[in-house]
Order: sequence, then C-alpha cells, then structure tokens
Amino acid sequence: MSVALPRILRTSSFHLTLAYAGLFGASVLILFGVIYWATNIYMANSLDAAVDSDITELEDSLQVGGDAALTALVMERVRQMPYGPMYYLLQDPNGKVVAGSLLPFYGGEGRFDLKIPRSGAPSVPIHSRGIILNDGKYLMVGVDALPRREMHKLIVRVFGWSSAISLVLAFGGGALMSGGLLRRIETISRAARDIMAGDFSRRIPVRGTGDELDHLVASLNAMLERNEAAMESVRQVSNDIAHDLRTPLTRLRQRLDLAQRRARSVEEWRGAAEGCVSDMDAILESFGALLRIAQIASGGPARRFAEVDLSELLCTLIEVYQPMAEEKEQRFTADIVPGLVVWGDRELLAQMIANVIENAMKHSPVGASIGLTTLQSPSAITVTVMDNGPGIPVADRGRVFRRFYRLESSRSTPGSGLGLSLVEAIAALHRVSIELTDNGPGLRVTLQFFAPDQQTFAGDRLAKHQTRGELWVVSDHPPVVSRNTVPTASSEY
Amino acid sequence: MKILLIEDDGETADYVANGLREEGHLVSQVASGAEGLICAMGNGFDLLIVDRMIPGLDGLNLVKSLRAAGHLTPVLFLTALGGVEDRVSGLNAGGDDYLVKPFAFSELVARVAALGRRPHTTVAETRLHVLDLELDLLSRTVRRRGELIELQPREFRLLEYLMRHAGQVVTRTMLLEHVWDIHFDPRTNVVETHISRLRSKVDKGFEAELIHTVRGAGYCVRSPT
Repeated sequence: MSVALPRILRTSSFHLTLAYAGLFGASVLILFGVIYWATNIYMANSLDAAVDSDITELEDSLQVGGDAALTALVMERVRQMPYGPMYYLLQDPNGKVVAGSLLPFYGGEGRFDLKIPRSGAPSVPIHSRGIILNDGKYLMVGVDALPRREMHKLIVRVFGWSSAISLVLAFGGGALMSGGLLRRIETISRAARDIMAGDFSRRIPVRGTGDELDHLVASLNAMLERNEAAMESVRQVSNDIAHDLRTPLTRLRQRLDLAQRRARSVEEWRGAAEGCVSDMDAILESFGALLRIAQIASGGPARRFAEVDLSELLCTLIEVYQPMAEEKEQRFTADIVPGLVVWGDRELLAQMIANVIENAMKHSPVGASIGLTTLQSPSAITVTVMDNGPGIPVADRGRVFRRFYRLESSRSTPGSGLGLSLVEAIAALHRVSIELTDNGPGLRVTLQFFAPDQQTFAGDRLAKHQTRGELWVVSDHPPVVSRNTVPTASSEY
Repeated sequence: MKILLIEDDGETADYVANGLREEGHLVSQVASGAEGLICAMGNGFDLLIVDRMIPGLDGLNLVKSLRAAGHLTPVLFLTALGGVEDRVSGLNAGGDDYLVKPFAFSELVARVAALGRRPHTTVAETRLHVLDLELDLLSRTVRRRGELIELQPREFRLLEYLMRHAGQVVTRTMLLEHVWDIHFDPRTNVVETHISRLRSKVDKGFEAELIHTVRGAGYCVRSPT
C-alpha cells in the first residue's frame, strides 16, 4: 500500500471502523455477560437439586430406619465415592464425626460453598448444604462444584478469543477498506494536481462499479469538461484579440507615424487626429463587443430573464429599420404573429435580431427584398429573416459565427466581424437555435425559440456542443419553414 | 451649472472637468467616495457625475446613501462597466443616466445638459413650442404655422423628445434609448434616416429649418439664429 499508516489513522473510514469495532466489542461483552449469568444460575440450580435429593433420601432413611440406618447409609455412600463427586459429613452435637468423608466442620444450616484442600493437587470447590437433624446431629451434603468452575473458565476463554478475533477482523477490515478508499481518493487528488500543473485534458479514471465514488468522479469529470471548454473559449478570445486587434492598432500607428513625418499644417494635423480618433473608436468598439460576448457567454444575464413580448419587440425593430431599407431602396416586408411571448432579456434579444436584420440589409444590394416572418408551433417559436442578397457559401456558414471572421466578399463593407459572434452568444444564452440556409438566392437565418418543455431538449444539445469546445448552436432537424433548402450548415458542425 | 465630479483617475477627471468648464459649467473634483458623499450632501450641486469604481465608498453605494438621505440631485454614472446588468443596477440605485467609458465628449456634454434641464420639465407641460412649431401633448397633434402635420406615433415621440430638449444637443444614443428603448448602438445610420424623415415632414417647405444636425454630436431643435 502506497499510503502511509498515520494517514490511514486520520481517515474518516478508519474512524468509522474504530467506532464499529468499539460498538461490536461492547455488544459481545453484554452478550457474554448474559450467557455467563444464565449459565451460573443453571449450574447453581442443578447443584442445589443434586444436594437436595441426596439430603431428602438420607432424611427418609432416618425416618424409616432410625439413627443406625442413616449412619449406615452415609458410610455406604462415603465408601462408594471417597473422593466425590458427593461429600458427606454426619457429626453429633459435640462435633464428633459419626460418619463421612470430611473433617469435623460446622457450617450452620443452609447452603454454602467451601473448598477441600488436597495435598499435591488444587483444592476442590464444593457446594454444600447443612441441616440439623431432629436428634441434634449435624448433616452436611456437598457436591463437587468443579464443573461450574470449568464452565466459567471455558466461557471466559471463549469470550476472550472471540473478542480478540473480532477486533482483529474489525481493525484489519477497516484498514483495508479505508486503504482502498484512500487509494481512490489519492487517484482523484493526483488527477487534480496534474490538472493544476496544466494538463487540462486530464480526467479522473472511473472504476465502472457505479458506486457513489464513481458518481462523484463522473460529476467531477463533467465539471472539468465544462471548465476546459470555457477555458478554451477564453483562450480563443485572447487569441482573437491578439491577432485581430493587431491590424487596426498597426493601422493607427501608421497613421500617427505618417502624420509625424508628413503633416505640416494645422489642417493636416487635425485631419490625422480625426482619423486616429475614428480608428480608436473602432478598436474600442471591438473591445466592447468582445467584453459583451464574454459577459453573455458567462451566463450571468440569464438571472434577469423575464417574459418578453417578442411580437412587440419585432415590430419596434421593423419600425426602426424600415426607413433605412427604403433609403437603400430595399423592400422590407414583415409578417408577425401577434402575442408571441418568449423567456429572455429584451435588450439582448433586440440586439440579436437587430444584428441579423442589419446583416441582411448590409450585405444585400440596392433593390433587394428582405423579409421577416414568424411562426408559432406547439414546440417552438420561429423567427426567420431572409434576403435575396449574395448569401453565404455552404462551407462558410459555420465560420461566420467565429469572432472577427469576415467573408472575403464582405471585407470592403464596414464592420468588426463580431456581429454574428454576438448573435451566437445571445442565442446560446437563450437556448435559441440558429440555422443558416440557402434562400435560393440569398440567405435565410432561422431562429428557433423552444417552448419551456422543449428547452431542456435544446439545452442538452447545447451542452453537447459546448463540451466539444464549440459554442455555436445547431439544430438537428430540418427547419420548420423552408422549401428548397440545401443541407444546412449545421450538419457539418 | 454647478457640477460635482467624483472620479479617482486623475487624468480622466481633469479631462472631464476641463471639458465641462469650457462648456461654461462650474466643476468641483473629488477623488474618493466618502469625500464625494459629504460634498454631495452639502453644497447644493445641480448634477453629480459619479464613477462607479472609486476607492472607499463605491459609486453605487454612494448614490444609494444619497438617495436614502433624501437628496434628489440628478446623478450621471460614468463607468467602465458597460454590461447591461451594470447599467440596470446603476439606474436602480438611483442614477438618472449612465455613460460607459470610453465616451465621446459631445455625448457627455449632451447628457449633462439634458439632466440639468430635468427639474423644470417635471412641471406638467401640455404644449411645446419652438418658433412656429407647436406640439400638443394632450391631443397628440403637431402644427407648424397653424398647419397640421401628420406624424407616425414614433415620429411624434421623436419630435417630442427633441422639443423637450429644445436648444440642446441630443445624441443618437439618447434618442435610441428614449424614443425606441434600444440600449445598444446599431452600427447603421438608423437614427439619421428617422431624423431625415421627420425633417421632411416638419421642415420641408418652410424657410426656417428647425431640426439641425450638429456634426459629430447629434441633433438639435431650435429656431435658426
């Protein structure tokens, strides 16, 4: 056993063992006490009975045959068994022995125990009873009480051995049990130390017995899985920041550098400063968006969830964006079922849908049509935003949710590349599934809000995807409102 | 306006204070929460600008204590905490407005001006006037030179907000927050399109333009000077 002994002594299972051993010992002690007591009574009764029957017999002979008959009978008995198991003494009132196997003695009437010393051997205990006969003679009959003493000794010996054995078993078993438990706990803490040392993919081995320790290990592993996914996403964010903020920061530096070297007039300096401020604003905005995504991904805002009138929210957003579409000569049509209510955060949901609408408007050409429809089924509320713009190639549909990812074709349009990441984070928080499908031509974005009883189902899928280190929510079944759909992006992720 | 600025970062504090002084405000600066609370309770300020994260008593608790003591001085939170939750908790604590760092100075100026005017607008007004433009809050009608102008409900609210702050600059985000209840900044020029629609209804055909665009800051409704 790799575990040091002192540590075993400190384990709770060992303490438990100790307590059990103590309890067990006490119950054995009580049991033996009862046995000892009962045996004692039984033995005493049987000895009494032996003495009593002999005395009765002797009294009978006195009554029938008189003094001589009694004396003869006693002498006969003594002759038959000079060394027990029965001992006799008949003495006259003067203390002279008339007959018997014992020395003159007066123990009075009643029962008493005495010992007969023997030369070269242990004294013999006898249980006796004395009576005074009618003529004043003293008669005492004794019986060898050695069996009783033997029995007592035997009981004590058996008790001693059995308690010794049971204690050894209790302690040994306890040590073994706590040793086994300790080893398993040691495995867990070793794994924990490995993980602390940086091996984040390390998991605690499960024994497969399905006991409570296995359950604990399974929960711990699930927690580690989640933490690893969360760490991965944090790492991803810092990578994104490092890589993607470098570009605008470099640009800013270049602009300042250029101003330093070339700018001559106040006007030129002012122009350079204006450019720098707007560059800086863009960078700060990216930072803000990243922080917002991180905050949403942490799940914190879910605490403030309440019922949101989705229909009202959609109407407001349409009202906000309608004039803009008209300005771009885009046709923005909406078909909203009234009274749709979902569970969530109004502001975040507004931002999510606004981003999707803006995305459609921004990437669709002048004269395009954009549509927003809602659909309510018993299991889900579906919001679909579609356009007939250039769409997103199938291969890119999963990637657009990545932070800072921008399609080659849209590099020229303004934007941070964080809009859809934010959409995805908000959707994940609300357990809303997002699907990007072909609108033939154009893009169709389907957002599905699951009814509360369906949410656990969606949540399970969400958890499954998160454990694989991906935060983008997908749906496995075909979209509710689509015709002419090609295989969805989700099937590849 | 007499303003108390409670901000621990010296550079930011100077930037804000000097900028506001240039705008004609009287600014006192304090760097800790406890000191800020004492000053705020005593000196009859028109507005408090409070950083959320300051040493000693933090901004949120400062405002809570102030409100608990019955002081109604308007409070503008200035903070690096930009999450939705942070804003809600700030407003629940008794803040009147909330500005996330980094911010454009024009945004701060506009909000400061709007908060300064607030006490006067609490008096129930039923009609708002700017030159020959009249907005009736009871019948919810708008007339210019006596002529009825048809407005959508949201356009009415937009004009109402602008006219309540007549003569002041109102920023895009202020409009989004108060007219549409939208608390994020859409990347697109949504507000501009709504303003230009409103302008086409209110100003078109009249020689005096009332809805002005203040470059780099926002919008302003006022009579032409």
